[in-house]
Amino acid sequence: MTKIRIACAFLLFVFLSPNRAYPDVAGAKKEGKVTIYGSLETSTMNLIEKLFKQKYGVDIDYWWGSSTKVTDRITTEFRAGKQLFDVTLNHRPLLKIMKKEGIVGNLNSPAFKFFPAEVFDSEVGPAYRNVVIGIIYNEAHIKADQAPKSYDDLLDPKWKGKFVMADPTRHTTTTQWLASMPKIMGKEKADRYIKGLAAQRPVLVDSITPASQKILTGEVPIGFAFTKYIAIYGKEGAKLDYVKVDKMLGDGQYLGISSKPQHPNAAQLFIDFFLSEEGMKILADVGETVTRKGVYPTFKDAEKIKFTDVDELNKEGFAAKSKEYKDIFLK
Amino acid sequence: MTAPVRRFVQPVYLLYICAGLCLAFISLYPTFFLFYGSIRSAPLGVAGHLTASNYVQVYSDPETYKLVVNTLIFAAGASGLSVIFALALAWITVRTNAPFRGLLELTAVIPNIMPSLLVAISWVLLLNPTNGIVNQLCLSLFGLAPFNIYGIPGLIFVESLVLSPLAYLIIAAALRGMDPSLEESAKTSGSNELGVALRITFPLIRPAVLAAATLNFVRAAESFDTPAIIALPARIELFTTKMFREAIGSFPTNHNLAATYGVGLVALVFVFVYLYRRFTAEVERFATVTGKGFRPHQIDLRGWKYFASLTALSILVLMVILPFLTLVLVSLMPFYQTLSRAALKALTLRHYVNLFQDDRIYSAFRNSLFLAIMGATVCVLFAAVISYLTVKTKVIGRGLLEALAFIPWAFPGTALAIGILWAYINFPIPIYATLWILMVAYITRYLPYGLRAVSSVIVQIHKDLEEASATCGAGLSTTLRRILFPLMRPGLVAGWIILATFFIREFSCSIFLYSPGAEPLGPLIYFYYEEGSFGAMAGVGVMTMLVSVLLVAATRGLTKGRAIA
Repeated sequence: MTKIRIACAFLLFVFLSPNRAYPDVAGAKKEGKVTIYGSLETSTMNLIEKLFKQKYGVDIDYWWGSSTKVTDRITTEFRAGKQLFDVTLNHRPLLKIMKKEGIVGNLNSPAFKFFPAEVFDSEVGPAYRNVVIGIIYNEAHIKADQAPKSYDDLLDPKWKGKFVMADPTRHTTTTQWLASMPKIMGKEKADRYIKGLAAQRPVLVDSITPASQKILTGEVPIGFAFTKYIAIYGKEGAKLDYVKVDKMLGDGQYLGISSKPQHPNAAQLFIDFFLSEEGMKILADVGETVTRKGVYPTFKDAEKIKFTDVDELNKEGFAAKSKEYKDIFLK
Repeated sequence: MTAPVRRFVQPVYLLYICAGLCLAFISLYPTFFLFYGSIRSAPLGVAGHLTASNYVQVYSDPETYKLVVNTLIFAAGASGLSVIFALALAWITVRTNAPFRGLLELTAVIPNIMPSLLVAISWVLLLNPTNGIVNQLCLSLFGLAPFNIYGIPGLIFVESLVLSPLAYLIIAAALRGMDPSLEESAKTSGSNELGVALRITFPLIRPAVLAAATLNFVRAAESFDTPAIIALPARIELFTTKMFREAIGSFPTNHNLAATYGVGLVALVFVFVYLYRRFTAEVERFATVTGKGFRPHQIDLRGWKYFASLTALSILVLMVILPFLTLVLVSLMPFYQTLSRAALKALTLRHYVNLFQDDRIYSAFRNSLFLAIMGATVCVLFAAVISYLTVKTKVIGRGLLEALAFIPWAFPGTALAIGILWAYINFPIPIYATLWILMVAYITRYLPYGLRAVSSVIVQIHKDLEEASATCGAGLSTTLRRILFPLMRPGLVAGWIILATFFIREFSCSIFLYSPGAEPLGPLIYFYYEEGSFGAMAGVGVMTMLVSVLLVAATRGLTKGRAIA
């Protein structure tokens, strides 16, 4: 049933999307720049910008923020009648909210056919990357044979107070991630597992970046973090690895185009370039789990990761889960 | 009314009206939007109705009051400790003959230009219980790791180090401008150096000490940088962390709730402004800059002078040297890691090379320098006018000016930025999405800091000098130019340095208000931090500090020759 729904979403999206004008490169050059608000790391966007500018002579003005802050800025500007962004890189639920309010328009690109049907959302199109959360450890402090082999192994008393994770009461991705655990281990087991995690008194930090930093320095050598850090820091000589479990949860990231772009040709040109093999390879090279067929990140066994998208939570859902985790984790 | 007096009074009122209107606008306009936001059920631009529900939600929660208590303990501790550090340092460098005091004085200003986020991160690297460098060292030497940064004492300690340089600048300026004759009289009457310090020097600089303590108290109360790094992992909940978690960092963002917390802080800060004004009500008691010569004499510490230098150096090791060296070390690491032989072998200059190749970094430096130089100049001149009117004149409603200037100060940076965003996004002069909105925000937010620095010097200028000038037939502009401005110069320079160093690294307002193409350094450093690019962050941080040191040194060089004797 789920597969039928996914296929329908894909077909609906592809066939009901408006007929698009193929990017007018001359028009884009004339516009001179494209303004992007997004949550993709600036260092990665710098690499994209370098190649995009070299190829088309069009600048990228990039404003980086967490998805929440990006959405906040876009909606505040929209309400004041100033739609300054052309393209946004954002979460699916936030894009859906913005689409409902008429802030973002319909997206289309010839590159869509290179993305598998299961990453398509009927309203906002394909996820271009999945930010996968796994159990990451520092090999300088924990040998592979001593590392956990499954999610359950982390509940062993020897890891009590010795692993790090983002605080699920204030980090929305972690809230969603924990709330989606039933998708990979069933509801009963997931409930037990979450309580078990809390009882282990993990070191709680503000978000996943400081968690990864603690793993990297060895201050807390194991914890839940994005798998992409293995590739990013691996290039610099860090020895990080991840626990290869059957299924991993992650957060899909999507593109949105302004309903009234100030630089329409440059915006379309950027979207096509970004989703092209060339664009996706830039992301994969820095460890991102991109969804374009045949493009994989550079860390070990990345192509074998079985990814499951986290559930969307609405405002009430976030509030309820946040309260539930507060009672479990902060008491 | 005699002719000269009439000539003197009228321009003052003109000045008062102009300054008052400007101040009322920059202060009340965003505040109105924020207050209006706190009593609405929806963000501005969305249909909603007036409601008290935001206040009910915030103030019916018993946890809010626990947070206020935690915040008061944190702010009082950090402010008190910072004043102790600053007082010791200022006295040693300004009033004694301790060796190397010039170098120590210059070093004391450095942390003021060190982004506080970086100071907190450095101390976590040094004192975290698992692999902090100092703990590791103690473990290898004594077999135990005694320090744990993750607690209220650690939080207070780090924040006090962040706050000390500002207190130092204010207290040192006051010590430099003191009339030595009072001290000399006490000595002639048989008092020893300690007696003079306790009975004469300290009471004379009390307004500056209170000013520094008040400033730092509020700065700590609204601080989010250090709590984000230390309080959050330690599960210590403060007002700002709660506000961030429930209002600004939540999904979806609740601006109305953020505004409600902001209004509460305004009320709290007004209490402190009132207390401060009571402390300094009798300004005449502190007027020490008279028509007489007033070069403060240096106290000969004899054999103790080396001990004094060592004490100052110890404070500076904590304030500057250890965090700075840690920062340099991180900037040389390809990625952020524990100090080890392997880590030392892998050191690289890559992040510094990148500084000169990245257009984004270049444009951020250019934007921040413009904001620092231009913004600090406008802000300090504005502060001087307001300070003069509130401290030295008897114009009706002068207290209102100071109260107006303090309103935006009470808002945490992010909440104020929301007010400014709402206020200026549809402003007839299109400053939104340009560098100018940042300048307006910086001036609005940091005016009280300039005001305090300038006021603490103006308070010490005796009104005899103005009266003598007026009696000799000089008008307001001549008195300002020939008498007050030269005497105010130490305060103006101190204020300018404080503001320029704040502006060059500001991020809490900038992060909300900057636009692509007009990005300053603060958000750039913050983004590197958020992305986990600690090496790049430390590289930009070290370079920001070097640029700031050059800026401060150039300012001091330019003004030194003209400094009043």
